[in-house]
Amino acid sequence: MDFILSGSALKTFARSITCLARVGNELVIQASPSQLAFHTLNSSRSAYQSITFKPDLFDTYTVSSNQVKCSVLLKDICAVLRTPVASIDNISMKLPDPDASKVQWTLECYSGMRKTYWTTCNIEPDIQHLSLDRRKFPSNFVVRPRDFNRLLANFQSSLQEITIIATDRTSLPSDTASEIEGKAVELRSYIDPTKENDSLLHTQLWIDPTEEFVQYTHTGDPVDMTFSVKELKAFLSFCEGSEVDVHLYFEKAGEPILMAPKFGLEDGSSSNFDATLVLATMLTSQLREGNSLEPPQLATTIHGQNEHRTGSQVQHGSCMPNVSEHPSDHTKIWSDISDTDGRSFSQRHPGNWVDADEDEDDGDENELCVGSTPPYFEEQ
Amino acid sequence: MEHEAPDLVCQLDSVQGMVDALTAVRWKRYQDAVLELSEHGVVLIVEETCCLQAKVYLQRELFIKYEYRAQGRPRFGVSLGLLVDCLNTFSVPGHSSVIEIQYPGPDMQLLLKSIDSLDACIYAEIRTRIPDTISWDYSFESAGGTPLSFTVKAAALKEAIDDLEWPGSSIQITLQPALPSVSFKGEGHGDLQVDFMYYANTDLLIAFSCDREVSYRYKYKFLRATTSNMPSSVIRDNRGSKLTIGRGGMLKVQHLVSVARLSAPHTHIDSAGYQHPSRIAYIEFFVKPEKDGND
Repeated sequence: MDFILSGSALKTFARSITCLARVGNELVIQASPSQLAFHTLNSSRSAYQSITFKPDLFDTYTVSSNQVKCSVLLKDICAVLRTPVASIDNISMKLPDPDASKVQWTLECYSGMRKTYWTTCNIEPDIQHLSLDRRKFPSNFVVRPRDFNRLLANFQSSLQEITIIATDRTSLPSDTASEIEGKAVELRSYIDPTKENDSLLHTQLWIDPTEEFVQYTHTGDPVDMTFSVKELKAFLSFCEGSEVDVHLYFEKAGEPILMAPKFGLEDGSSSNFDATLVLATMLTSQLREGNSLEPPQLATTIHGQNEHRTGSQVQHGSCMPNVSEHPSDHTKIWSDISDTDGRSFSQRHPGNWVDADEDEDDGDENELCVGSTPPYFEEQ
Repeated sequence: MEHEAPDLVCQLDSVQGMVDALTAVRWKRYQDAVLELSEHGVVLIVEETCCLQAKVYLQRELFIKYEYRAQGRPRFGVSLGLLVDCLNTFSVPGHSSVIEIQYPGPDMQLLLKSIDSLDACIYAEIRTRIPDTISWDYSFESAGGTPLSFTVKAAALKEAIDDLEWPGSSIQITLQPALPSVSFKGEGHGDLQVDFMYYANTDLLIAFSCDREVSYRYKYKFLRATTSNMPSSVIRDNRGSKLTIGRGGMLKVQHLVSVARLSAPHTHIDSAGYQHPSRIAYIEFFVKPEKDGND
């Protein structure tokens, strides 16, 4: 097979490789007459990324047989793309025959230099192909990458895992709903209690999805998901560079989340590339009262199979959260960040702050005044 | 107490330029250099025994004063890193600094001092050594017949050599007249070939002289040394570097480094960027080919 890329398609290609290289080590290339697919799986099998390109993205695109498969090392492709994209006129890729041992990449540079790379490839790749049906996810949101990066900037840059708690504004009693001022989504830093952690910064951020997200769909009980930040940031970079929003699909703790670019309505199905990032989430929900006894672990493997599958395939842990109806139990404050004398204090509207021991009594607290940036307020 | 006048007293008004020129031949942290003084100027020589040699020519026209009184040609050894670091202390950005260099001092040192500063004086002495190895005279002989050489944009040469690190192997340089072009190739855990095509309309390969195909291999780290510390002024000035293959495959790489201060009123830079030749230092590298070089 072979193809030639130039211009903005070349930039998309380079951006794709950068993103894939931040997720996994090996790139599986699958070419068919209808599309070119790249995918990678990280070594702990908790992140899978796939990027597909339509033939019309390329200046030329030729596939000899029905399906050509091979794999190359992403660090080799990154070496090929070491030359700044702005100085490359075009890139061509050649796999001379299905059992060739090397892939040839040729860069024609504006300076007049021609650089030809030969990278070794594996013709019998261990293909992990994962396909999740986006329609099966009950909840999702769309966000501009720049906005999401701005939210993430509130967290320590060394943060490895983050928890997103999604609640349904409409399912809360109406007076409470107005009290929480629509801040239905919480982002919370996740710190692994089994690791040695001292003097770490814990951060919690409540946001109003109608302000921060382009779109937000979640009904029913609050759910949470805890997943790796590294691949999330790589995907946000990719989407920001491609000037598209990020669509994040989720279900609940333990189920994988799926991210994809959200192309504008006018592009719709005519976009000539697509991408999917699937991340495993922690089995343990952060919403339950009292932590589970088992140590948190990333939902183990995303089992790869050669066929397409609908629905998710992740081990279900034993810790299905026992969700109560009462909205106040759903947002649990970590006692270790409360006031040292054990009293909790509110930094938002008091209606949302619950002590583990205290019975919620919405009525009284709803009378208290509401400020958009709530001041420090001590509960009586 | 001096009984005789020093061999050399010279004054230089562009310390940064001299630092740039000397930095271009630094490829290791510790390098012993040999300086040779003559009535024509100063030559600094560094080498990696029997594999790689570099020379920096600072001809007397670069200096605003050059008083040479030696009998013969004094040679002495000095640490290159020490010399460059010392010169750097005299160089203040945005400030014209004139320094005077004198050799020998009372104890055979190299003496440096600032002479145009009104309120402070910087003074330095560097110990010198008797060079104990006669530097191998890489007498570069022509390959015979038509010279085998090409001039390529320095920035492109550096880029190509940087890219050629990836294969992790020695580099084969091939010149061929048929499709007039130059290729650099490395074959290691991956292969990379960089071709410089000779077209009249690009300024990549500025001159090309070759009547037969030749091909030699060079160790990557020595080839890399010829461009790794290329001064940014060389790239800014869009200079070309000349590569010549001599007898036996010896490779000569020549760079031109500007030693002028651009703010100085007497530098003549015309619209084509041509600079008065006396404001340029010449750098030469000699790289021996690998033993099994063929052709």
